[in-house]
Amino acid sequence: MSYENKILQMKKMLGKKTSEEQEKPKFVKPAAPSYKEAWTAAGLTPVHNDFGMLFKREVRYPLTYRHGNYELGELYNAIEAWEAADMNHPYRLTFDDTLVFFDTETTGLKGTGTHIFLLGLLEERGDEFVLTQYVLADPENEAALLFESKFWQRAITIVSYNGKSFDWPMLETRWTLNQNIIPKLRPQKQIDLLHSSKRLWKNDLEKMKLVQVEEEKLGFKREGDIPGYLAPIIYFDAVKSGNAEALMKVLLHNEWDLLSLITLYVHQTKLLFASEVESAVTYTNIGKWYGDLKQPIASEHVLTNVTENYREQEASLAYFYLAIQQKRNANYESAKLSFEKALPGISPKQKLQAYEQLAMLHEHQFQQFDRALFYTEKGLEIVRQSSLTTDQKQKQLVKWEKRYKRIENKRQ
Amino acid sequence: MLSKKKSISQLLEAWQYDEDLKENIMHWHTLEAQPASYAPFPETMHQSIRKALQMRGIEQLYTHQRQAFDYATGGKSFTAVTPTASGKSYCYHLPVLQKILEDKSSRAIYLFPTKALAQDQKTDLNELIELMDEDILSYTYDGDTAPGIRQKIRKAGHIVMTNPDMLHSGILPHHTKWVSLFENLKYIVIDELHTYKGVFGSHVAHVIRRLKRICAFYGSDPIFICTSATIKNPKELAESLTNTTHKLIAKSGAPVGKKTFIFYNPPIIHPTFGVRRSAILEVRDLSTRLFEAGIQTIIFAKSRVRVEMLVTYLKSLTAKKIADESIQGYRGGYLPSERREIEKGLRDGSIQMVVSTNALELGVDIGQLQACIMTGYPGNIASAWQQAGRAGRRQDEALIIYVAQSTALDQYVVNHPTYLLGSEPEQANINPENILILMAHLKCAAFELPFSVTDHYGEFTVQELLAYLAEEGVLVKTSTQWHWMSDRFPAHEISLRSAAQENVVIIDTTVPAKTKVIGEMDTYSAMTLLHEEAIYIHQGTQFQVEKLDWEEKKAFVREVDVDYFTDANLAVELKVLEEDKCAHYKTATVSYGDVGILAIPTIFKKIRFNTHDNIGSGPIHLPPMEMHTNATWVSFDLPENWSEEMLTDALHGAAYALGSFIPLFIQCDRSDVSVVPQVKAVHNERPTLFIYDSYPGGIGLSEKVYDVLLPLLERTVQHIENCPCKSGCPSCIGAQDSLQESKKRVLKVLNILLVEMMWP
Repeated sequence: MSYENKILQMKKMLGKKTSEEQEKPKFVKPAAPSYKEAWTAAGLTPVHNDFGMLFKREVRYPLTYRHGNYELGELYNAIEAWEAADMNHPYRLTFDDTLVFFDTETTGLKGTGTHIFLLGLLEERGDEFVLTQYVLADPENEAALLFESKFWQRAITIVSYNGKSFDWPMLETRWTLNQNIIPKLRPQKQIDLLHSSKRLWKNDLEKMKLVQVEEEKLGFKREGDIPGYLAPIIYFDAVKSGNAEALMKVLLHNEWDLLSLITLYVHQTKLLFASEVESAVTYTNIGKWYGDLKQPIASEHVLTNVTENYREQEASLAYFYLAIQQKRNANYESAKLSFEKALPGISPKQKLQAYEQLAMLHEHQFQQFDRALFYTEKGLEIVRQSSLTTDQKQKQLVKWEKRYKRIENKRQ
Repeated sequence: MLSKKKSISQLLEAWQYDEDLKENIMHWHTLEAQPASYAPFPETMHQSIRKALQMRGIEQLYTHQRQAFDYATGGKSFTAVTPTASGKSYCYHLPVLQKILEDKSSRAIYLFPTKALAQDQKTDLNELIELMDEDILSYTYDGDTAPGIRQKIRKAGHIVMTNPDMLHSGILPHHTKWVSLFENLKYIVIDELHTYKGVFGSHVAHVIRRLKRICAFYGSDPIFICTSATIKNPKELAESLTNTTHKLIAKSGAPVGKKTFIFYNPPIIHPTFGVRRSAILEVRDLSTRLFEAGIQTIIFAKSRVRVEMLVTYLKSLTAKKIADESIQGYRGGYLPSERREIEKGLRDGSIQMVVSTNALELGVDIGQLQACIMTGYPGNIASAWQQAGRAGRRQDEALIIYVAQSTALDQYVVNHPTYLLGSEPEQANINPENILILMAHLKCAAFELPFSVTDHYGEFTVQELLAYLAEEGVLVKTSTQWHWMSDRFPAHEISLRSAAQENVVIIDTTVPAKTKVIGEMDTYSAMTLLHEEAIYIHQGTQFQVEKLDWEEKKAFVREVDVDYFTDANLAVELKVLEEDKCAHYKTATVSYGDVGILAIPTIFKKIRFNTHDNIGSGPIHLPPMEMHTNATWVSFDLPENWSEEMLTDALHGAAYALGSFIPLFIQCDRSDVSVVPQVKAVHNERPTLFIYDSYPGGIGLSEKVYDVLLPLLERTVQHIENCPCKSGCPSCIGAQDSLQESKKRVLKVLNILLVEMMWP
């Protein structure tokens, strides 16, 4: 049909309402979709509750199940390590936590028209791991799906990959839309492994996609995986055609995501406790992270490990962060040496910071004004060559020139 | 040197005896000052509000403010007609603040047509809240709002000030993040109601229907408060926009200062062709007089090009002073920061004269101006009054000069002052039934919340349309509902402001190493204003368009200094898609229905400044623009023995004349409806005049023309016959190249139609 004809057709469909709308009926349990049997035949189990129906798939894994470099059971060693460490850390887990590794598949990226059509939960049960995948039967049966997840009932610790800013807010949106029907969603403790991955592998991994992390860090390579962006279309097709074959592939994709969450947690824990060997970059990142968490001892420990065990070119950044810690601890002589060692391998922005710190140390702590002037000149040089905007550059120049004059006065 | 500064009354007295001016002034008219009418504070009004008003020196309300308070607290939606500077914002601030003071969980949404107006009002409201010394949070929420504060606004903002575009794509599709707003929404304030007309208004009508749908989901039923400039149908517009019954507050209690209107017609300089001196040049001379008298003046011109021409002329007044910024241009296409600067200059008086397009008709607070000059009739009475309202705010004496151009409607207005002074202003029309607009918003609504198989959408029954969307694959039907089933985000596929989605960015490449963006323009205007070789004038500086990258929507310009400007022609092709109504006469047929339009820019002309001679031309190479809209068309037989060329001229003249008078009959802006002749229409191969809505999907104007065609023809024929020119002039059938029989032929064509329709 031509565009014009479509418009003319649509115009004929438009009517105006005559009488007032009746009262909205109370919640009525929706009917099961027509493809219930077909989806069941494809390998899904139908589940009924007070709010309608959903489909479910369950898989059990022994503790010895291997996914890439790790066995799932190593999760317990990781938790033990945290228990033993007695340290306050956002990624710390204990045996008191009820762990749920969590990932969803959705029909879009944002807005109330985006549905969650798959809730994937992977839980440890002491002697085994259990994967439960809840599949939206159709959008009208949404309350049934949400209710079945029990997220409203139990206090749990959610471990996810980008769940803090995507999956969980999306779940909150879906819950709000059903707020008149089902109990309120319970706020849960969240551990987002995307955040820790960014912390650990900044300057190391180019992309933080879970698939990249699996391949480069976890020793897992997917074969026959469907790309995530196809998931919405596959679900639409399953609903419209009643054929759930391709949908089972999405479930497998989700299963792999969840298994990788466990091994990712295991691997990252090992890195944090330095019981796994990775590059200087990763350990430098870890050291900085401890520093940002206001845990100077752990920070210095990890960074010193880098400066002592890796070549000096690789350790520049570690020296830089270490210097900042040392200066904070009034360990001025070590700070000076560390800054100097950091200089060859750090970015211009960090160099500028290092020169500033060195100038300050020599001016205030050591009263060596010649050296202080030397570093101030170096700093000025960087500002002049920098690609800052004219405005920012002007501000920096004023600041550095002021310092220069002050030190020169002191020297005389 | 003696100061030449004069007050308006001194200036007018001098003008009475000025022979040069007297001949051209067709009419003087004075509107006397009106005193204020007051009402006491309502008994129930909260102490804090009372205190704040008293600290501002307000001891009683204007009658319209009091009525507004009473309606709102009585739970009635209402629309208040509020002239400039009548304290309109108290009409909504007072009841909203009262409600929040009574119940701190209450929320309100304020909708302003632009971000700038929201900013203005936020400042004003926050000052008021500070005087009240109460803990009430009001925020603007738009594209400029920092991400860090958004969460807080969603959860805790009592008053959220935003614009329809943000509501449409930033709030409604994410309503679950705004639960506390939607559950407790008591008031929706729509300021500048009159701006919601045409396509934009039709879009906003749907945004409001979606908003109401979401409120109903969260169990709230807010009251609407609208304020509007003077239009013919404020209540009808508000009711149609909000799909809610409104009370009307028509009378303002605010005082009005004395206003003097001068109707000025430029002298005829070529009696045979009926050519008058250019209105722009007359405005330049009148402005010079006002500038020298030290009177702060706003000059309105209808197009961007005219604004820039006037700025160029007038800046020569201050050319000898260094860094003098007292004369400025102001129009769409300037960057926001530039505009804010100018608004500030007007308020603090450092700018004495500003030349503007209708961008300044909106309620941006620029303080007190003394005089206003209209270069040509702005196209409708409501706009004329809003432009006039810019002069003489706050009870001072004001001068308004209307300078007529040589078009038929302008000449009609200058010769019939009662048309402007005496008759009612126009209606503002919207057409929520426009099927293209409706379908686009129906998708958004389905995205926001599922429709049940018994649901309506606003006043519309939409089940068949929902089934159509399911067939298209964006909805899926479950046992009792229609659900959105697509990974698209439908709100991003609509722009509320125009048919054209994108703007063309204008990039100054004068200094190759330092290219910069100096403005932007919608694609439809860009076809005729930013084609290659066009002279684009920005703040009085001339730029030549070096390259127009139509794919990327970028125009690269370079500063030039030439003595001409450019003017482009647009060729239009029409095809009839469906005939809904038809009337047959002896030979003529009059029809109404759907048409497809193809617009192609053809050539441009170079026109010299001051003399306005044509000094060259060139072709324009751009792809055509397509549009689907509504039209009324008239087909008839060729008079015997006429060549096609004669008919072409006659049809063009008839189209020109008819087009001029349409606004008199259906109360719309001249540019809302287009009249295009086709010597051989594609659908029936007969000479045809098409009268179509200038907006995609139509807004219901040409349908009205279908019903008033006979009186329209009568008035047009009468005007052409009475026009003093010999063979056609810009005041009747358009400028003519030569002394021919054009005028007679146009009359003949129109009379054939008229006679057939009168005695069928």
